[in-house]
Amino acid sequence: MSSEAFIPKILVPATVSCAYPGADAVGKAHLKYPTNIDIIRVPSPVMFPEDFYLGCFMKGIDGILIAGCGSDCPFEGAYTKLTKRIDGLVKKMRAGGLEIERLRLTAICTVCVKAFLKEVNQLNDKVKALGPVNRDVARVLWEASLREIREGIETETANE
Amino acid sequence: MRTEENNGVPGEDIRIGVYVCMCGGNISDVIDVDRVAAAVGEIAGVTLAKVHPFMCSDPGQQTITEDIKTQKLNRVVVASCSPFLHELTFRTAVGRGGLNPYLYEHVNIREQGSWSHKDDPDGATIKAIRLIAAAIGKLRYAEPLEQIQISNFRRALVIGGGIAGMRSAVDLGKRGIEVLLVEKEPSLGGWVKEWEEIYPTGGKGAELIRRLNEELERLNEVTVLKGVRVSDLSGFVGNYNVTLENAGAGDEAELREVLGNAPYRAQAGAIIVAAGFEPYKPRAGEFGYESFPGVVTLPEFIEGLSEMQIHPEGRIFWRGRTVGSVAFIHCVGSRQIEGVHEKQDDGKINDYCSRTCCTAIVRNAALIRERFPGVHVYDFYQDIRTYGRGHEEIYTSAANTGVTFLRYHGEQPPVVEKGADGALLVRCNDRLTFGEEIEAAVDMVVLGVGMTPGAVGKVSEVLKLPVGADRFLQEVHPKLRPVEVSVNGVFLAGTAQGPMNIEEAFSAAGAAAAKASILLNNSTVQLDPFKANVDDESCIGCERCLSECVYTGALVMKEAKGTDGSTCRKAVVNPGLCVGCGACVAVCPTRAIYVNGWTLSQYEAMVDGLLNAPREGARIENA
Repeated sequence: MSSEAFIPKILVPATVSCAYPGADAVGKAHLKYPTNIDIIRVPSPVMFPEDFYLGCFMKGIDGILIAGCGSDCPFEGAYTKLTKRIDGLVKKMRAGGLEIERLRLTAICTVCVKAFLKEVNQLNDKVKALGPVNRDVARVLWEASLREIREGIETETANE
Repeated sequence: MRTEENNGVPGEDIRIGVYVCMCGGNISDVIDVDRVAAAVGEIAGVTLAKVHPFMCSDPGQQTITEDIKTQKLNRVVVASCSPFLHELTFRTAVGRGGLNPYLYEHVNIREQGSWSHKDDPDGATIKAIRLIAAAIGKLRYAEPLEQIQISNFRRALVIGGGIAGMRSAVDLGKRGIEVLLVEKEPSLGGWVKEWEEIYPTGGKGAELIRRLNEELERLNEVTVLKGVRVSDLSGFVGNYNVTLENAGAGDEAELREVLGNAPYRAQAGAIIVAAGFEPYKPRAGEFGYESFPGVVTLPEFIEGLSEMQIHPEGRIFWRGRTVGSVAFIHCVGSRQIEGVHEKQDDGKINDYCSRTCCTAIVRNAALIRERFPGVHVYDFYQDIRTYGRGHEEIYTSAANTGVTFLRYHGEQPPVVEKGADGALLVRCNDRLTFGEEIEAAVDMVVLGVGMTPGAVGKVSEVLKLPVGADRFLQEVHPKLRPVEVSVNGVFLAGTAQGPMNIEEAFSAAGAAAAKASILLNNSTVQLDPFKANVDDESCIGCERCLSECVYTGALVMKEAKGTDGSTCRKAVVNPGLCVGCGACVAVCPTRAIYVNGWTLSQYEAMVDGLLNAPREGARIENA
């Protein structure tokens, strides 16, 4: 497959309060973006552990745009927590050899059509240039993140 | 509701009905809906996949309810418009069919499908299949859910005491519903009480306000607080807590009498936002405003009208100015064009039509001609929009009284300059004479300023009320839910939502009151069940979730008996206080805690659905 023919699979978890209606506004304005951008609704991406994103890459998602609310987040403290988690995840991706450009956190408001188009197109172009995700590399990272979150159980058992 | 039949385990005994809406061509002109239905019909668990011209119509909804009964469906997917429009519609239809309403998934193939991908029908079709496959994946892990019942505080808070707020308060009061009406100014009546004449009925605005006020005063249910504003707000539908503060003109003794000692707090189950509008304030120099004496806004002109006197020579005195000719300019601060008009302070232009100014301008133009036939009146317009019953007649009368109409192009607005002897020159390329450059020397220029949104302040900030591109508050749907906003229990009345005339503001206010009554007639409100929940068996009591939750009381630990009979601790959620953000979910080592309706397993199944969706299929059942 030539690099021109590669169409990446882009996942956009978009918040119910901001980014999802923002994406709707793009449609209402009849503005265009590529059809390989799949948007899923989420109350707040703060609910996703690291292994969720890594699992997506492992399964073959080539790029993820987390479209949140930024400072407009209706949930107290959620955006800060999310930012921290994504920072940590990016470090792990870099260390583990997974291109960090595949994951991006951004804020899209309910009427931010231009920001939405810019973000999805930029990520799409970047990921196109990178080529398909290395699912094996992602698997190693995914397994490590699962081990890490489950350490809680082991510590608990050891304490008893 | 929890039965063996509709609570199937993944992959087992699942019977899914998929409905693909054409939206009368809005979807089907781009997306090949038959191919979508055929392809998703191939997915395991899909019992039927149908195409319908309008799923939201009664026959469309009926198809769902009938299929649930006859085809024994236990999961339903509708692929149509944005879930913000019709998720509730179809969820309710699913409920009517006898199925738990939360065994439903909504797929957006219009706003995020056909409308965004007009140039790629094939790609849009495949994307629609993928999104439906994702929804089917999510439904495999769906559980029947029940709404949460919360007690309802049966009082409405009406913010803004203009005509809209007053109308809403009267309507609610007459239905026996307690109302707290707050107005930041020292008196009720807003802008309308200032107006010399209202159109097309005639008479003073103040008279209308007096009649409304009489009705208000007769109602024991309505408490009016003037000179106060909302300083803080919290809570949710049925349980809003509002704090009021003196806006300068408030009567402290009255406030204390009604609400007790400061801080002045009150509860309400519903909120009606009737914050009104502000007239557009031209920039200094815009059409000569504030640069040349004699250039005034329409409200300023009308204010001066009452004191206008007849000059012996048939001219008029307007605040000391002898006026023999007047020019009106339409669309000042409205229908602005990017690149032509200077941007507002927030970097936006006012591209909307203010809708009410045309009638006001032509009525005043006619009024001058009627009362002072010696005065020349020029009307510079781009389009005349005197819409509504009785308004066309006002336009006709202006033409008959001899007002001279000149039509400019939106991209070439008239120019106001200083002429000789203190006169003003208005220059315009007139489209009525096919592009003739016309120059009118006048004594006064009246700017037909439009409406800009009134300050909603703290309420909008706290409740995060959605705002349109025009900065006015935005309804859920302009046709289907015109006075509701996406925040439950909050309704819009009048010009806070957009430019309206008095009739329209009255109708909107009546509708908002009706909607609020529906809510407040119940002693309880139902909340969506999308709150955190704990699976006791897998909870190991590690308390990691507890340290993530910032909502006091939403998540606590309780003592429980373990499988071996020993005592252990488990996390418990208070669904009334939980907001369903899911911060707790991400840190749970055993996935014991999850948000109802949005579990991690469901998200993973969605991703699997997206990646493994078929592209074609053979099976098709037409509705």
